Amino acid sequence: MTFRPRYFLRRAADAMRRGPYVTAVGTGTIFVAVFVTGLFAGALGGAERLLAAWAGEVHLSVYLAPGADLEAARAAAARIAPGREVDAIPAVVALRRLAEGLGDDARLLDGVGPDALPDSVEVLAPGLSLAQARALAARLRQVPGAADVDFGNAWLEKLETFVARARAAAVVLLGALALATALLVSNTLRLAVFARRDEIEIMKLVGATDGFVGAPFLLEGLAQGLLGSSLAVLVLLAAHAAVAPRLRAAVKLAEGLRLADTLPWPLLGSLLAAGAAIGLLASALAILRFLKQRPSL
Amino acid sequence: MIQLFHVHKEYPGDGPALTDVTLEVEKGEFVFLTGPSGAGKSTLLRLIFCAEPATSGQLLLFGKNVAKIRAAAIPQVRRNIGFVFQDFKLLPDRTVAENVALPLEVRGLPDRDVKRKVKMLLRSVGLEHRADKFPPSLSGGEQQRVAVVRALAPDPALLLADEPTGNLDPDRTLEVMELLHGANARGTTVVVATHDRTLLERYKRRTVALERGRVASDGAEIRRAAGAP
Repeated sequence: MTFRPRYFLRRAADAMRRGPYVTAVGTGTIFVAVFVTGLFAGALGGAERLLAAWAGEVHLSVYLAPGADLEAARAAAARIAPGREVDAIPAVVALRRLAEGLGDDARLLDGVGPDALPDSVEVLAPGLSLAQARALAARLRQVPGAADVDFGNAWLEKLETFVARARAAAVVLLGALALATALLVSNTLRLAVFARRDEIEIMKLVGATDGFVGAPFLLEGLAQGLLGSSLAVLVLLAAHAAVAPRLRAAVKLAEGLRLADTLPWPLLGSLLAAGAAIGLLASALAILRFLKQRPSL
Repeated sequence: MIQLFHVHKEYPGDGPALTDVTLEVEKGEFVFLTGPSGAGKSTLLRLIFCAEPATSGQLLLFGKNVAKIRAAAIPQVRRNIGFVFQDFKLLPDRTVAENVALPLEVRGLPDRDVKRKVKMLLRSVGLEHRADKFPPSLSGGEQQRVAVVRALAPDPALLLADEPTGNLDPDRTLEVMELLHGANARGTTVVVATHDRTLLERYKRRTVALERGRVASDGAEIRRAAGAP
């Protein structure tokens, strides 16, 4: 094939200018696919960052049954978690802390007896992962008189489960999404190829190779892919700029959340490359299918 | 240049389009292919152009057996062949100059050379002032002149024309025929399919008549039989 990059670029640009509808549909489809992928990957990255951030603040509470020996429980907890800060919190202290936490609404506690809350032992264990914290909590259940152990884990465990499942599903879902997008864009480009069948026929009549005929179509697909994925990346960056401050204000753990945690540059680069690859694959499928169906040209 | 030996072409579901065609066209010849509609003229040209294979028999083009040419090599073969159609086959959304430039671009000529040659070619047929127009704005005669110029632009060794004057009035027909004869005078082998008897009578050139896919008569054989040089 005669390699004429400027000629091919000019032909591709001409085709996109003459067929804005096809360009818009192809670009839009790739935009949606890349945006959804980026959103998914960004959410996963953010969730993983939150899980990692939580590891700095592990705070376990062992609630004791009525009548349990608080000092014996503290000593047992200290043995189970050596080197950790372990405090015995009598019910009266817990009630006072609650009242302090309620501030002006503390009067709601008027009439509440000193035994309303259980005695507890608090263990501060910074730097643990969720799995390690869960294991420590299980051991702390062995503390004499322990009725329950809490480490504020309900939503974190849900998040952890979600992240684990999402990560597993991501590969399959995003693979299917990429394939579906390529086929969708390919069918759109097939319309463009079909609309230009006379041009292709005449080019072949004057001695053009399949490569010469196909190169502008490939560039067109590549351009649509890059355009769609660039738009998607820009919208993702805008979405991050809009959502991150609100998230930081709403969730203390998200204070350290940065762009590099949710949308790191390698991810953005991969999204751009994936969009370009989908466009290229789609246009290759479209032109190859057409040339295969018209072998006598 | 072109040699056919017992060539047979049949389309599935149809009768034979060509039957036992044996024919030779030498380098530099000007040959009319004639016969009524459906005689097989266009099929024969398509076979010579490598657009489809013969069902049986042998076709040699530039000394090569067409059946043995790889599909990927066909564009290379076609770069030695110009083709002119009755319906011009010009790209309506490209200018006259862009249409003429197409075969030169396909051959990888630099842009500067393409522009220079296109300008020269259009000037030679009096269409330089139409270079930036789009084909639909041209008359039928002008469009066919553009089509002929496009076919001749890369100086092909062989020019095939399928009813090139079928859509033209007598004056425009003469203009186009003069272009074909000019090309032949410069050494291009020309094969023109036509059912226009006035052309055959006006231009006393070798005429191969086809009827129902068979060669009914061949001017070369007749001339040879009559002892003509």
